[in-house]
Amino acid sequence: MPEKEVIIIGGGAAGLAAAVACQKKGIEDILIIERNSYLGGILNQCIHDGFGLEKFHTSLTGPEYAQRYIDQVMDKKIPFLLNSMVLNLTPQKEVIVVNHHGLQHYRAKVIILAMGCRERTRGAIGIPGARPSGIYTAGVAQELINLKNYMVGEKIVVLGSGDIGMIMARRLTLEGAEVVLVAEKLPYSSGLPRNINQCLYDFDIPLLLNHTVVDIEGNGRLSGVTIAQLGKRGGIIPGSKRKIACDTLLLSVGLIPENELSREAGIVLDPITGGPQVDERGQTNILGIFVCGNVLQVHDIVDNVSLEAEYIVEGVAEYLEGRLNKEQEIKIELGEGLRYVVPQTLHTLKDTIFSFRVNQPGEKKVLIFEDNKTLIKKKSLRRVNPAEMIRIKLTSRELKSIKSIKVRLV
Amino acid sequence: MKREFTCIICPNGCRISVEYEGTNIKNIEGDECPKGKDYVKNEITNPLRVFTGSVLVESGDFSLVSVKTHVPILKKYLKKVGEITHRIKVKAPVEIGQVVVFNLLNENIDLIATRKIKKNYLTTENF
Repeated sequence: MPEKEVIIIGGGAAGLAAAVACQKKGIEDILIIERNSYLGGILNQCIHDGFGLEKFHTSLTGPEYAQRYIDQVMDKKIPFLLNSMVLNLTPQKEVIVVNHHGLQHYRAKVIILAMGCRERTRGAIGIPGARPSGIYTAGVAQELINLKNYMVGEKIVVLGSGDIGMIMARRLTLEGAEVVLVAEKLPYSSGLPRNINQCLYDFDIPLLLNHTVVDIEGNGRLSGVTIAQLGKRGGIIPGSKRKIACDTLLLSVGLIPENELSREAGIVLDPITGGPQVDERGQTNILGIFVCGNVLQVHDIVDNVSLEAEYIVEGVAEYLEGRLNKEQEIKIELGEGLRYVVPQTLHTLKDTIFSFRVNQPGEKKVLIFEDNKTLIKKKSLRRVNPAEMIRIKLTSRELKSIKSIKVRLV
Repeated sequence: MKREFTCIICPNGCRISVEYEGTNIKNIEGDECPKGKDYVKNEITNPLRVFTGSVLVESGDFSLVSVKTHVPILKKYLKKVGEITHRIKVKAPVEIGQVVVFNLLNENIDLIATRKIKKNYLTTENF
């Protein structure tokens, strides 16, 4: 069985950044395994701009952002397999890959999981009604329009105000379709403010908050949906139902980290993030298996995916040199106001970047890190929004000799 | 007319409310900094956006090449540029940054490719 130093599962934003970072650390024997016929993952279909503002200080489109990493992979001759899918991962860090050569087995000292995420579907949110054609998840519509040259429809309703849904509302408008409305079940948008402004407002597309789709009609092809307004407790307000004629429904209702391989390998997952539970270096409960990108937690900005990949490679290099020790185990306790925290555990007290999402939008909040009621760090936040991930670094000095951590938002 | 903006210049995301008529600003409110004020003024008087879209490719390894305008353009031109992208076709290979259309709408706007497309000798047109 061929043995590699590092195998990276997934050749998208996270996998490419991890590969380049490994190479920079002097790790020679790397293999990227990619399921698709090209590198770059989902960035290839994200042809809008706004990527790279933090990483490259310029606004790039998705394909341009990906190419910056692909060029480095090619330049440094980092090996990769295309059209190759990992079928199985074991706790012994063996992988089974299938491609047109048949089945192949590899073993690695380190596995980096970078499989990304997939979209929630109609089934996941249980919209009742007929089952006609014309219902797509926003990302699938994006792939069809931007890569495959298929137009999905002419008169469109978007359910969910996630970023991809709003970006597709703009894209479809520019491609000549009519986007009737975007309905969002929550009282606030789940996307970034700049997308509400540049994708919906610019084209006079209404965003209906507290609204959802309650019925779907169509024989063969979708002919219309029924939307309704929701009350404070999420119930349908009587009399608020109305029918909207359309031939296409796009769903932008959330993303799920793709962790089937992780689960089979016995990696412990966090029920809230949907990604593996990790320590401060992105290491899972299985030694030598690290995670980064959307398979760990769904990000809103690709720059943060690249930064996270580079950050966990620090731990990969330490592990390969035998310097990554579990000195202790501190579970991070989550207090009020926060939905999740990554990492979930600390094994050493080095400089650590924590990522959070809040439960609901708010203003003038304070994020507090405590060790049994002793303050570790306090950070004022003018505005918080569930759509925007909060990333905060705690230095080894701030973490020095702590026994526990509790984080809360007040 | 009154409108609330979320400033997108920095991560603070200030809400700035503006009263205006046409392009004439009457009042700006909110905890704005000078940058926020400029942002809102530009949004009302001269809103600029980068157009992004795609164009058909002949005998490439993808059937479409993604494109953008080389500079931000007036918001009112977005749909017109979109219509132009539907009518044109380029030949593979294409490099990132290659000009696909020069001088769009006679406004000194170039449409440039944002994806690398290799020549594919096996594909037929449109697939």
